[in-house]
Amino acid sequence: MKHLRNIIVAAAVCMLCFTATANAQFAATGTTTLSLTVASEAALRIDSPTTALTTATTVFDNYTGTTNFTYKIRSTKTGGSGTITAALTTPFGSGGPVLPSGSTDLQFTCVVSSPGTGCTSAQRVNIVDAGTVATFGTDAHSARAGNSGSVAWTLVNDPVYETGTHTATVTFTVSAT
Amino acid sequence: MRLALAILGAAVCHADTATTTQAVTVEIVAAGKLSVQAALPLAAQTSPFGDFAGTLPVNYRMRTSATGGSGSITLQAAGEFSPAGGPTLAGSALRYTCGGATLGTACAGTQVVSQAAQTPVVQVPSGACTGGGAPCSAADPASSQLQFVLENDPRFSTGVYTVRLVLTTSSL
Repeated sequence: MKHLRNIIVAAAVCMLCFTATANAQFAATGTTTLSLTVASEAALRIDSPTTALTTATTVFDNYTGTTNFTYKIRSTKTGGSGTITAALTTPFGSGGPVLPSGSTDLQFTCVVSSPGTGCTSAQRVNIVDAGTVATFGTDAHSARAGNSGSVAWTLVNDPVYETGTHTATVTFTVSAT
Repeated sequence: MRLALAILGAAVCHADTATTTQAVTVEIVAAGKLSVQAALPLAAQTSPFGDFAGTLPVNYRMRTSATGGSGSITLQAAGEFSPAGGPTLAGSALRYTCGGATLGTACAGTQVVSQAAQTPVVQVPSGACTGGGAPCSAADPASSQLQFVLENDPRFSTGVYTVRLVLTTSSL
């Protein structure tokens, strides 16, 4: 009788052990560790999607205009860098300004808020050459909402241009490593 | 003499037979326990600067008292993000929403993870129990999900950052 009772008790203990093992991951509390990998990133928004180049006179003064933009950037903590460039992706059409390789007829100067460093000299833009708008060093961080910048354009007013409206597309690219 | 032995023998043979009764009582008390995965990576949803997000399944079993009982699961950060230079609970607002509670009611709205206070995950009413169908829940274990979102702020330095969260059950 005593032996039988011992067997029953042992079986009950084993059942409890099995239950505890099967539900080992359940407890009154649980912990989880959230992790995220923050990588270098960059983005920009052109705030003036159409930039009109105008001249105030009729004596062949240059055309001028300004393109405003907002950028966000995060460069790598060690050894990182970044740039913003402007490239002519669709040239002016027939009868308008012709901007062959090496041309300096279309140029811009830059104003870029920190952490960017704006171009320090006029940058030419033509069918080959993209201009550098800004550069960034290692571990550069824009503000949460982004930082501002602008490009002031100058286009030579060549008498060879036909009268009318001429349109080109300039693409701004921001990158970070 | 033979008869006496036979009677004695019969008495010996039946000496181990007995009948007794045993009252068994059990007190069922309110209880709760849960299970979550040990690690949850948050991934940037879009590039560039898309929010970091991830979904945490929460499995739980709970029994609450039939009268005046209640149960809950809450969440609290055990510390700040580490290492420094990345997101912080104080400044970056790690947020979550709750959904899909198969027992009780998932938290409503958007919650902000805090080091200082517990925030709700699931609220369980009185008389609730887990598994087996009515009057208990159909699912065993019961489950819910937490959808975490963290803004991808350009001010974070590049690197890997972690924060430990503690979920706690409570039942009455």
